[in-house]
Amino acid sequence: MSGDANKSAWELGPRADEFRARWLDHDWQLVRGGPLPAEMHMALDEVLTYAVGRGERKPTLRIWEWDTNAVILGRFQSVRNEVDPEGAARHNVNVVRRITGGGAMFTEPQNAITYSLYAPESLVKGMSFIDSYAFMDDWVLQALRGMGVEAVYKPINDISSSQGKIGGAAQTRRGGAVLHHVMAAYDMNPATMLEVLRIGREKLSDKGSVSANKRVTPLREQTQMSREAVLDRLVSTFDELYELSPGSLTAEEVEAAEKLAREKFMSDEWLYLLP
Amino acid sequence: MALHGEYKTPGGKLVVVDLTVQNGHLSNVAVSGDFFLEPPEALDNIVAALEGASSQANETELARLIEASLPEGAELIGFDAASVAVAVRRAVTDGSPRERA
Repeated sequence: MSGDANKSAWELGPRADEFRARWLDHDWQLVRGGPLPAEMHMALDEVLTYAVGRGERKPTLRIWEWDTNAVILGRFQSVRNEVDPEGAARHNVNVVRRITGGGAMFTEPQNAITYSLYAPESLVKGMSFIDSYAFMDDWVLQALRGMGVEAVYKPINDISSSQGKIGGAAQTRRGGAVLHHVMAAYDMNPATMLEVLRIGREKLSDKGSVSANKRVTPLREQTQMSREAVLDRLVSTFDELYELSPGSLTAEEVEAAEKLAREKFMSDEWLYLLP
Repeated sequence: MALHGEYKTPGGKLVVVDLTVQNGHLSNVAVSGDFFLEPPEALDNIVAALEGASSQANETELARLIEASLPEGAELIGFDAASVAVAVRRAVTDGSPRERA
């Protein structure tokens, strides 16, 4: 497939050089480790965002692996409104709240494509929040198109195709850095999801059918590639576009994240911030 | 009695308000949803602005209260003061008591 076919408005528009330069001005590092509990992913996002903001860590792409089923609530969502406690218990779901806004995501370890980008705020300097979503999702759209998935960005924070929503991004700017994390469905089990998340059922009862434009269509229905191969392709596309060197978490970062996971992300005070 | 109101913005974000009405004033106000808000602590300002407001206040008046409460530079993304005001009015006027969790 020719390069241009996968390119977006960002890459082809009048400011393409400037936008590419913003990515290339940063020295990107890859962190791709083994499975972790959901609260560690939440904690690492906070720890690494501030570490990048302080200049202690290079801009980083972190690919997540999961060790349990999880529901990740947006910062402003109510637990009761989103989660069915019995369904969650029945399916061994670890319910956590993240530091970014947006909607709840139900993940099973082999079904999720999840990653975070941490960069100094200079990457998105002068951009509105909405523009910076499109800007930071652009490389992944190119990667997905390279796999034959007709991926498009839908404001504010959806990654979709003509077949439905694939996933969503959430972003926050803290401590001089921007955190942009994406949760997408490689595969999904709708029956389990409807037992765990309330929102799906409320939409059903309100409208008689699940809202069609928000229907999640996992990547597995749009590509033959395995989950592992999809992740590999995301990494290699990023590397081709903006150069990525191998990296790892430091012992200090892991220790700080474990402490934050215990003290904040596993606490009822944080989870039930909005009961 | 616990009242519950929801409003879906044209962009697809949901704003949820739970509250009670006591002696004609909004009480126990909670605002939640899948929107984005920077800084996140601005949610406390929004809730504080609604707490104690008249249950007769209309959408415009409620939106004005919310806007006045926001810290300098706050950004509401995917929703605005008016969407919260609509959810409040829905809770007050036809909010069914929320289903027990």
